[in-house]
Amino acid sequence: MWRNLWEDLQLYQHLLVIQIKAQLQYKANLSLDIISYLGITGLEFVALLLYFVPFRTLLGWHVGEVAMLAAVMSLSFGLSELIGAGIDNFSVLINRGEFDRVLLRPVSAFVQVIGNDFRLRRLGRITQGMLAFALALHFLPALHWTFFKLLVLGIGIISGTIIFLSIVLLGATLCFWTVETTEITNILTYGSREMLSYPLTIYHQVLQRFFLFIVPVAFASYVPVCYVLERPLPFGLPAELALASPIVALLFALVSGWIWTFGVRHYQSTGS
Amino acid sequence: MTVIIDAQALQKNFRVAKRRPGIFGGLRSIVDPEVRIVSAVQDLSLQVQRGEMVGLVGPNGAGKSTTIKMLTGILTPSGGEIRVAGLTPIHQRRELSKRIGVVFGQRTQLWWDLPLLDSLQLLRHLYRVPEARHRENLKQLRVMLDLDEFIDTPVRQLSLGQRMRGDLAAALLHEPELLYLDEPTIGLDVVAKARIREFLLALNTQRSTTVLITTHDMDDIETLCPRILIIDHGRKLYDGAVKDIRTRFGGERTLIAVLDGSELARLAMLPSAEDGLATLPDLPAGVRLLKLDGPQIELGFGREALPAHELVAWLGARYTLRDVTFREPDIEDIIRRIYEKDLLLGDIGMPV
Ligand SMILES: Nc1ncnc2c1ncn2[C@@H]1O[C@H](COP(=O)(O)OP(=O)(O)O)[C@@H](O)[C@H]1O
Ligand SMILES: [Mg+2]
Repeated sequence: MWRNLWEDLQLYQHLLVIQIKAQLQYKANLSLDIISYLGITGLEFVALLLYFVPFRTLLGWHVGEVAMLAAVMSLSFGLSELIGAGIDNFSVLINRGEFDRVLLRPVSAFVQVIGNDFRLRRLGRITQGMLAFALALHFLPALHWTFFKLLVLGIGIISGTIIFLSIVLLGATLCFWTVETTEITNILTYGSREMLSYPLTIYHQVLQRFFLFIVPVAFASYVPVCYVLERPLPFGLPAELALASPIVALLFALVSGWIWTFGVRHYQSTGS
Repeated sequence: MTVIIDAQALQKNFRVAKRRPGIFGGLRSIVDPEVRIVSAVQDLSLQVQRGEMVGLVGPNGAGKSTTIKMLTGILTPSGGEIRVAGLTPIHQRRELSKRIGVVFGQRTQLWWDLPLLDSLQLLRHLYRVPEARHRENLKQLRVMLDLDEFIDTPVRQLSLGQRMRGDLAAALLHEPELLYLDEPTIGLDVVAKARIREFLLALNTQRSTTVLITTHDMDDIETLCPRILIIDHGRKLYDGAVKDIRTRFGGERTLIAVLDGSELARLAMLPSAEDGLATLPDLPAGVRLLKLDGPQIELGFGREALPAHELVAWLGARYTLRDVTFREPDIEDIIRRIYEKDLLLGDIGMPV
């Protein structure tokens, strides 16, 4: 199994290298693309901060703290978007019957799909996340850093990436039955990203539970950031829960991976 | 000889969901789907021996592509049994994919934005072919398919014929023992078609690759496939030699005779029928005059009407002949007649 995983990673790398090579042929275009993507995501971030012009805090959260929340969210989401590029357009792949081809190769269908449509422009959101993080640090000069806080932040971002990848994979799996649900999946991914750029506690308890225990997007940003900022978690959950992010992420990934495998068997192809 | 494809009583039904507009329509379609069942393949059995080239023919929507997709493991059959190269396609799909090559004429597996060579290199990783073997195969295919002149061109700039050659190379780099071709010559010009047929024949002789090909082009069949399967509405209508189809359903053959110049005056005197075409007096039963053009006469005659040599003798007794040739009925016409009249449905003498 480890050998397979290693070979899959190598394959993924080959798929990326060749696409990067193609995209680097038009450098001017590419930088423009990255910058405009940075611009768009930067604007989203600024819009979020505008709340703090009339108000000093949001349920006790200061501007720097919310900025950190949003920054970590951008990093998790941005990484998942960069790595899982091809899943986004899965409905197109299905509609055009191109998934047929994927099934005719002796390597993982999942790796082929995510490696299918790599876009360097998506570095824009990650750049925005890093800039936003720097800004957050600027607003929080008194923040005390420890080794564990750095660790939690790191595994939080990686777990968040896995969680978002699993959500889009679930959405993609639905396409095996119908491609008319892409809007719903988009609402779930983009919506949860937007919502969880704010402190979780501003939402109704049902939603809080949903994002903690069902679709655990809170682990992509809110839970690790609370640990870093030494803020209490809702429902009296222990702060150390942040260290469990990878387990939550892996469980969620296993479940969606299993559903995906089930979906592949139901693939109906297209008539043409 | 050993069997490479063995399919028994294949069946495929598609559930086609009715579309409802809007987001909530989409949601409703999942919870409460309104489905219609399309039966694409029904009770289809087929056996292919190693090294054979078999043509799968039938009108649009007959179920050819669906059959190929089941034989490759893309689609799960609704019923029936399949073994391909000793494997069960749907359960051993990845295993099987190392041993088969597939070309869909309507789609490409090459990357549009990359030079052809890059795609061919990338495929080494997608099929996990050892580097030395890949290099050797690529070298051979470059020669056989004459890829060198455009191997550095991005695929989107290739002509359809060049792209198809690229796709054939892509499907063969891992040396499959069985090649499925779904309409590989569609849209190609005559020269490009001829080139591809030549290549496939060479492949079949040199590597003894088994080929299953679907096509609309009867010239493909006549040059490549000694054996065809005709299917329509998902059912098998015929399975056997192409030449037997001619003898059994052949319709009319044509005798083309060129008469001696001295006969021209006599020909000009022939009486005309109402439609303006000349008539030959006392033609044997079952023989028709098709065309009269200067000294050339074309006569159509059914196989059961009389043997060809008797017709030549009949004509020779009346005119001085300079040359006689025969034209076999167009296989495309025969097959069209077979679909249109369901000639074979319920035919007890069906050779299988
Ligand atoms: N993925 C699919 N979903 C629903 N119906 C399909 C699908 N693929 C094929 N069909 C239907 O099945 C029948 C056979 O199609 P196909 O196998 O593509 O025919 P052919 O390749 O002989 O033209 C057609 O009626 C077609 O509309
Ligand atoms: Mg077809």
